[in-house]
Amino acid sequence: MTTRLTGGPVALAEPEPEPVDAPAATTRRRPSGLPWWAHPRAGLAILLVVLVVLFTALRPAFLNTQLTLVPMQADISVYLVVGLSQLVVLSLGHMNMAVGRMAAMSAFATGLTYDLFGLPLIVDLAVGLAVGAGLGALAGLIIARTGVNSFVVTLALDFALVGLVTILYTAFTDGVAFAQKPEGMSALRFDTFADYCAGDLGGPEIPLVVPFAAIAVLGVGLLFRFGRLGREFLMTGSNAHAAELSGIPTKTRIIQAHALSGLLAGLAGFLLAANNGAFSANIGEGFLLPSFLGPVLGGTLLAGGAVSVLGTVLGATITQVIYKGLNLLQFQLDQLKLYIGLVLLAALSLDRIRHVLAERRGTRV
Amino acid sequence: MSILGRTLEPGAVSERLRGAVRAPESSLALVALVGFVALAIASDGNLLSGGTLDAFFRFLAVPLVIGLAQMVVLSVGQMNLSVGVLTGYCAMVSAWMMVELGLPAPLAVSAAVALGALVGVVNGLLVVFTRINGFIVTLATMTIIDGLRYGVNGPDTYQGYSPGLREFGRDSVLGLPMVFLLALVVAGMVAFYFARTVSGRRLLATGGSPFSARLSGVSNDRSIVTAHALSGLLAGVAAVIVVASAGSVNASIGDDLLLPSFAAPIIGGVALTGGVVSVLGTCLAAFIVRLVDVMQAQFDINRRWIDLIVGAVVLGAVLIGTIRQRLARRSS
Repeated sequence: MTTRLTGGPVALAEPEPEPVDAPAATTRRRPSGLPWWAHPRAGLAILLVVLVVLFTALRPAFLNTQLTLVPMQADISVYLVVGLSQLVVLSLGHMNMAVGRMAAMSAFATGLTYDLFGLPLIVDLAVGLAVGAGLGALAGLIIARTGVNSFVVTLALDFALVGLVTILYTAFTDGVAFAQKPEGMSALRFDTFADYCAGDLGGPEIPLVVPFAAIAVLGVGLLFRFGRLGREFLMTGSNAHAAELSGIPTKTRIIQAHALSGLLAGLAGFLLAANNGAFSANIGEGFLLPSFLGPVLGGTLLAGGAVSVLGTVLGATITQVIYKGLNLLQFQLDQLKLYIGLVLLAALSLDRIRHVLAERRGTRV
Repeated sequence: MSILGRTLEPGAVSERLRGAVRAPESSLALVALVGFVALAIASDGNLLSGGTLDAFFRFLAVPLVIGLAQMVVLSVGQMNLSVGVLTGYCAMVSAWMMVELGLPAPLAVSAAVALGALVGVVNGLLVVFTRINGFIVTLATMTIIDGLRYGVNGPDTYQGYSPGLREFGRDSVLGLPMVFLLALVVAGMVAFYFARTVSGRRLLATGGSPFSARLSGVSNDRSIVTAHALSGLLAGVAAVIVVASAGSVNASIGDDLLLPSFAAPIIGGVALTGGVVSVLGTCLAAFIVRLVDVMQAQFDINRRWIDLIVGAVVLGAVLIGTIRQRLARRSS
């Protein structure tokens, strides 16, 4: 029961947070005779490798450190955290349609704290994250108290916050962004570890925003793998009634999950602000689609009860690789969208086909 | 149980449905009426002057039809995130046919509607064959259509097409714009479809309980495809209204339609889980949202407050609906 909770119907068990060598990992853990290709993360890892090879073959600049790899890592960090923010509520079978606006409000709070009090960056960030978590908790509270569909509640919240963000930015700044920004923001934007460590350590340079995302991945991953709270989120998601009967305070869990989602959305907003170099009103505008892309590509169910943090990492990475690759190939924005959509559909359909084939082989998935 | 009754005995059904739905709709109607009168008084009767009233209803047509397009998929318990961009895409294609290909307006109009229906069928088939959640499928197709929409003419605008069509977009009958009357006719047809036709009842049966629908011989797969097709078709109709009444179209059309498409049915009392529709409620809700919109123009309020208010209204409507349900359950 517990394996099913983490892995969901499509996976045997949550694989260890080992990076890209998922196929090898799966061949080892195949107790029920599930073919290795039926492992959802294996397909993603292969797709990722294929895409990287393909883009490198077409444009050798794809592996250029300054041009591609460093900015891409920064982008992946942002959208990975956005994906995690969605993943946390998906574990309940809920949705958070307001991820983008929660990020915007949180970034606004961070910018405002610095603007008014001139506090150091870390304090500003803490305030921003608290605002994000508060907004999430508000959504969770409404959902838990009224039992209204999370889609509706967060959609309405998004509506409301869209207005509020613009009003606040016009009220507290000259236009669309804070003129001042805390010390350290530009370091986060431009510097890589190579600037601080003893020179280039051989591998690609890693921007300073990456550790933030890594901490988020690790935190969420450990929460769902080992944490009691994560387990209870999943149990609430797979069967709220049963969870309630087994003594889980489902309403509290709903509020907590939404608060965590808001917090992660806030972190994503901060990372994007760091990448862009300003706390501006348009932060989070493009968050909604990627927030679903990562988790869903990675095998997280919309129905709740199953999440895959590693899959989300792979899903978010693949999405950004496609964006970057198509960008380098000088595709226009419209074609880019077209192909992202097609890849998403193809990946999901392949996932489905693989699932059906694996079932036909007589293996229980 | 009630679902079986609903499908098999339309008479008893409409009776029961009417009883269940009467209260929320009448309160919506009251809100709409009070709001309209209050706004008319507050604007010193400006709202009732010919031009303002005309504009009021002219820009109500598209949100109304888009709300219905969303409502149709909600009836089977699905969502269609692609309605907004699909409307833009159909509008762009029909304008392209008239401007670039020089085709006559009737052909371009039917092409827009047919294209919408076709995309809807594709959405439906994808949902049925891949068994992927409709939310995700339409999220993907939304991205694809977004690209296609932009691909028709890049960032450029089409204008100066078919004078006849633009004439239709400007014309009024008895003080009501033609496009609004068209939207009302469409709403009437949708209402008839759900109340009186076998196919419409099947959609409701599927939405109410797929399991009992299947046991009573309803093909859920067919219902899903039908609902998506109909939703796409309505998006096509909305596109025609946009093309006719706007006079020029570009690739940004439809960007601001997704959230209103959910707002109207949700305020109107349509269940997200499927099985319950309310055409009248959706129309009234679109009317109320439009009132808020006009209020902004009338009193020169920051555009952004409107989003805030609409968000609060959606949430409030849903909360009231839930409370009402609870009270009803307690009393029965």
